[in-house]
Amino acid sequence: MKHLIIISTLLISVCLNAQTSYEKGMQKAFGLWQSNESAEASNLFERIASAESDNWLPLYYAAQINITLSFGERDKEKLSQKLSKAQDLINDATAISKNNSEIMVLQALLHTAWVAFDGATYGMSLSPKVVGLYTKASLIDPNNPRVVYCKAEWDMGSAKYFGQDTAPFCKDLERSIELFANFKPETPFHPNWGKERATEIFETCEK
Amino acid sequence: MNKLTILLILLFAFHVQGQSVINGVVLNEKKEPVVGANIYLEGTYDGGSTDINGAFSFTTTEKGTQTLLISFLSYETYTMVGDVSYMKDISVKLKADVNTLDAVVLSAGTFSAGDNSKVNVLKPLDVVTTASALGDFVGALQTLPGTTTVAEDGRLFVRGGDAEETQIFIDGIRVFSPYTPTTNNIPSRGRYSPFLFDGITFSTGGYSAEYGQALSSVLLLNTIDEPDQEKTDIGIMSVGGALGNTQKWEKSSVSVNASYINLAPYIALFPDRNDWIKPYEMASGETVFRKKTNSGLIKLYGAFDATNFELIQEDINYTDGLRYKLNNNNFYVNGSYQGVLSDTWTIFGGASYTLANTKQKIMQRNIKDVNNAFHTKLKLKNRVSNRFKLYLGAEFFSTDFEEEYTDDMVENVDYGYNDNLAAAFAEADIFISKNLAFKTGLRGEYSSVFKDFTLAPRVSLAYKLSPKSQLSLAYGNFYQNPSSNILKFSQDVKSQNTTHYIMNYQYNADRRIFRAEAYYKNYDDLIKYDGEFPSFASRFNNAGFGYAKGLDFFWRDSYSVKNFDYWLSYSFLDTERDYQNYPEQAQPNFANTHNLSVVGKYWIEKLRSQIGFAYGFASGRTYTNPNEPGFLNEKTKSYNSLSLNWAYLISPQKILYASVNNALGFKNINGYQYANAPDANGDFARRALQPAADQFFFVGFFWTISDDKKSNQLDNL
Repeated sequence: MKHLIIISTLLISVCLNAQTSYEKGMQKAFGLWQSNESAEASNLFERIASAESDNWLPLYYAAQINITLSFGERDKEKLSQKLSKAQDLINDATAISKNNSEIMVLQALLHTAWVAFDGATYGMSLSPKVVGLYTKASLIDPNNPRVVYCKAEWDMGSAKYFGQDTAPFCKDLERSIELFANFKPETPFHPNWGKERATEIFETCEK
Repeated sequence: MNKLTILLILLFAFHVQGQSVINGVVLNEKKEPVVGANIYLEGTYDGGSTDINGAFSFTTTEKGTQTLLISFLSYETYTMVGDVSYMKDISVKLKADVNTLDAVVLSAGTFSAGDNSKVNVLKPLDVVTTASALGDFVGALQTLPGTTTVAEDGRLFVRGGDAEETQIFIDGIRVFSPYTPTTNNIPSRGRYSPFLFDGITFSTGGYSAEYGQALSSVLLLNTIDEPDQEKTDIGIMSVGGALGNTQKWEKSSVSVNASYINLAPYIALFPDRNDWIKPYEMASGETVFRKKTNSGLIKLYGAFDATNFELIQEDINYTDGLRYKLNNNNFYVNGSYQGVLSDTWTIFGGASYTLANTKQKIMQRNIKDVNNAFHTKLKLKNRVSNRFKLYLGAEFFSTDFEEEYTDDMVENVDYGYNDNLAAAFAEADIFISKNLAFKTGLRGEYSSVFKDFTLAPRVSLAYKLSPKSQLSLAYGNFYQNPSSNILKFSQDVKSQNTTHYIMNYQYNADRRIFRAEAYYKNYDDLIKYDGEFPSFASRFNNAGFGYAKGLDFFWRDSYSVKNFDYWLSYSFLDTERDYQNYPEQAQPNFANTHNLSVVGKYWIEKLRSQIGFAYGFASGRTYTNPNEPGFLNEKTKSYNSLSLNWAYLISPQKILYASVNNALGFKNINGYQYANAPDANGDFARRALQPAADQFFFVGFFWTISDDKKSNQLDNL
């Protein structure tokens, strides 16, 4: 009996081990990302995605890393490489999880990266796409704080471009901060970013 | 306890034994290390990245046959299938991905407008914000090199070719009557509203085997695949009004656009050189329906428009002027499907139908014609690999043209023709490397009216000279049936043809582009006839010939000066031909030697305004002076025009737009009309052909209503 307990414990631990290799991988990837090894982190997320073919999260993060890196990139060649890679990853993620407001936010950010790079060229054609995505995302998931915050940040950017008042969007930011406070991600690995940046921008509102 | 020990040892051993090391090095084609490449066993967590020497090493518990993947930005993903025990000290050479932005592009002769196209010269917005264009996509293309300014006509004249030699396609399907109907000395416009299109490709020569029945040029317009959002557009203009609406659903969308143009109020305020009995009036409607299926996209495009006007134009042979009346109805419908068949095969199929009814009354002569035209196309694409793509296709054109003529002498003479043309094409894109690519194709056509088969080879090559520049060469044969003006009288002729030779240099830096293109074009089998106009009495043959050679330059820069974007186009053209009723080889009156365009746009943030200008210069065009010996023996003075426009954003969704064409009021002369008979002194009297008005003013207010409160119609102007 004793043997049996030990054996089954061992077996379970082996099984658990197998189960947590996803968690271990994800934790390691987040660790790399935090320690500024973005390329390594992106590679690891992609590897996890190849092993977890029905999970959209590793694809989501690999795409997010590439999009984040492309903000501030001035070389069109490099920008285009990163963003087209991110687009492929988003396409794969969307194929796994349709009507996902988090992926829509990421897609909107990808378009925003092009607009930020060259507003005169891409602004007119991509702006309606960005707005369309946020509109759709907020219909699907009206209380997703990232949808509310990213839309507000985009609206403020546009208002600035057209020389208009950005104050009306501060209440949206405020609402997003409230939503962030109550937000519980589905698992520890589901998207849970944006609160700090939302708060940071909101502080400029009060000045 | 013993058993347990054994089991533990076994389990532990299993873990240890399962560990094998995979290592190696990743290099590029120049044998330089690739840093940061992702290496892993497909479907597992086991993998790593390359270090600064391109080296990698990781352990795996996997056994047996596995797939090793190596991927990195701008390289083709490398796949190795084998037993893990052999994946040691491997050396992998990654091949550059030929689909990246810095790869060579097959682009000789082509101008594209689009967002992410590799060779875009124009942005979609340019089509409508070019000062001289007045919202006409054809007008914007006339600022590109290779085109000739024929101000009184308005259509596209490319590299010594007449307007009939350019064909226009919507979503790959031919448009049979692309221009609005008009009469002598009043420029025509593109019939279709630019804002339903998001991609425009204008090729001035050497184009793909997919396109036929065009001697000089093709213009490809693609409708928007998926509109971004629901919206309503309202336009109130000095010449009429426009209304548009877009609705979106989960998988489909509909855009509807209607406009009404009436020049009566404008002509009352600013009378021109014509005596208008019924000023120009046009009502039009367009609709696009799109539906996504699981593996493809269906598009339906329909357009209808009705135009009428009546006027008396000054004429040297009629003291009371020449009276002309026109009624035209045009219906066009186009449907297409594109979809994915498998990993490597994609399919495109489409068809269009045109029904054009025109009634003309020229003095006492009544001419009624009906044109029924049909085009269908099927195209398959096989992506054999990243470096080899194969295109196969077939198409069928059918034209049924009938005309009825009545005047004082004759009543109801009916005539016409029916032409069915079948074509097949095959083409391959071959990328030897990131720096060298070929496109080679063959097109065969069979025409039922001539019972004749033609075969047209096309080849182009592109070579990357440096990261920012490339050299392209293109060669091709192009066939086109004679136009309805000829075929309605005689079908005892055959296809006309041209041969193009093109050499192109392109330099493409950050928001700056320079292109230089030299070409030689040989015309053969052009239609000749005798008499003043083609008629039943004319004798027709294919004895005509000609040539065109020249140089085109283009420079665009939106980089050097903040908020300022400009381009310069210059074309040099040397062309002569002997066709139609020419007594000898001569420079035709629609082709001149020098053409220059300068277009600029400046965005003033403080005023929330974009101001723009477009200057056009064209050297003189030939005309025949019967008082002197010879044919096309003199040239007009050169043409000049400066157009200005101003778009003011009242709010992001409300725009006020104003433009003036020929702001400086140059008195341009397009040619001369001579009397049919000499006067008492033996001289032929003449009259200068001037534009109906030297200047044109336009004012409009455009309002967009949408959810995002930001879209506007700047891109419709």
